[in-house]
Amino acid sequence: MTAPDPHSAALTLAQWLSPAFPIGAFSYSHGLEYLTSTGVVGDADSFLEWARQILQHGAGRNDTLLLAAAYRAASDAALAEIDALAAALAASRERVVELEDQGRAFVDTVNAVWRLDLPPLTYPVAVGATAARCDLPIDLTARMYLHALATSITSAAMRLAPIGQIAGQRCILALRSICDDVCAQALAADLDALGSSVFLGDIASMAHETQYSRMFRT
Amino acid sequence: MMNFYASRAAESANPSIPAPKYITSESGSVTGGPDCQGAAITISATLHPVGDAQRQPRAVGHARVASKSRGQASVLGDLYQAGASKVVLPRSRPGALDAVLLNTAGGITGGDRFDITAIAGAGSTLTMTTQAAERIYRAQPDEAARVSTRIEVAQGARLNWLPQETILFDGSALRRRLTADLTGDASLLLVEPLVFGRALMGERVNHAQFHDRYEIRRNGALIFADAIRLIGDIHAQMALKHTGNGAGAMASLLFASPDAERFLDPLRRALPEPNDAAVGGVSLIRDGVLFLRLLAPDSYGLRRRLIPAMERLLNGPIPRTWTI
Repeated sequence: MTAPDPHSAALTLAQWLSPAFPIGAFSYSHGLEYLTSTGVVGDADSFLEWARQILQHGAGRNDTLLLAAAYRAASDAALAEIDALAAALAASRERVVELEDQGRAFVDTVNAVWRLDLPPLTYPVAVGATAARCDLPIDLTARMYLHALATSITSAAMRLAPIGQIAGQRCILALRSICDDVCAQALAADLDALGSSVFLGDIASMAHETQYSRMFRT
Repeated sequence: MMNFYASRAAESANPSIPAPKYITSESGSVTGGPDCQGAAITISATLHPVGDAQRQPRAVGHARVASKSRGQASVLGDLYQAGASKVVLPRSRPGALDAVLLNTAGGITGGDRFDITAIAGAGSTLTMTTQAAERIYRAQPDEAARVSTRIEVAQGARLNWLPQETILFDGSALRRRLTADLTGDASLLLVEPLVFGRALMGERVNHAQFHDRYEIRRNGALIFADAIRLIGDIHAQMALKHTGNGAGAMASLLFASPDAERFLDPLRRALPEPNDAAVGGVSLIRDGVLFLRLLAPDSYGLRRRLIPAMERLLNGPIPRTWTI
């Protein structure tokens, strides 16, 4: 397959990573719902603090490393190994749900629309593998994936906390430079660089399992 | 117990001069044998590339312990120890073989290399712990210490991997990797307490590297992985609100067993309350895989919450070395 022209690549990624793509991104809060219920996150500033740490030291960084490794996977067997690692790294049951349910929905949709034959994969691995099959640039793919994650958690925060439309868009813009930094670092590294330190973020995701009243699946 | 590691502070007052060690060649083989333990050994400069004169001596340790079942009992199947790693076998509890690992180098520093293998043979129970907390000392630049642990748990067997605290000192660099292979209905309990500096001495870990990687497989399939990465100013990194919120100690606990689910509710009930200085969470990540993470201001607060959880999963007391 010849590489699509850059505009076409950008629009393909915009379609995959748009909130309209049927992966149910709106139903996952990544543990934020628990943090808003306890008052730890309650406004734009406290949300940004959490989001920065998730992107820089947690799932944002690890997902980007896994996406890049999946993009570069030399064989189906190598891809399956990366996917198994991505699933095994989930620190809570709800994180497994985020990775596997969104990944399965993503693969079902690209297989049907782009006539691919990808197996079920965890979400970041699915995006990386699909981008490689469609010959889309890795830099743009990783950048837009992280930006979509930033957008999705901001949208959850706007529904969970008194953060208005304008403040929400300011948050997404504020997270952009972190997404750029994380992508630049992750694309220059391999899976040896995997690692998280958002321990309390993981604990929040565990605590959400037993939260009494919930809007979000995670 | 409050000052459980303060008593060791005196002997490690100068972390840049660790206890005597074996000096090894570039190939990693031990040049001082186990019977010259503690003796000063010099080595020909030709074994080290030019420019390595400033490098610290390296400690190498190998240990392998295997248990096997004999009737209702678990007995020693295999034992190998070399270099700075020693294995002590205290009188075991009924049904289980207890083994205690000892680091005769008195700590771990840059360039050190430890390889540990623990095997629970079919139907047997092996409990491994350490004699004391493991101190990770200041390393020279680009000289990370490496610790590799291989665990095998056979059909019908159980392995409890219960080392005492790993204490990261300022300037330390450690890459640690643990892989475990479980067969059939094997069970594995894994506990790793980690302490960031000696808070009681006002010490802060402002410059260190810590990579910790776990991979657990059952019948060849990866069922759990964990990767911890703390680089640079670990004190500042752990001070962030959603990393450690200032915690000075952390423990990870994994229980991989076909009946892991029945421990989920008891462990949830044992978690710290919202007004506790410690914070914890537990999740049955997938069937047969229970994972718990605890954070506390210091190792005392950590133990206060960790030990009841361990006792629940062990259905009995924690190893004796933990309490002396």
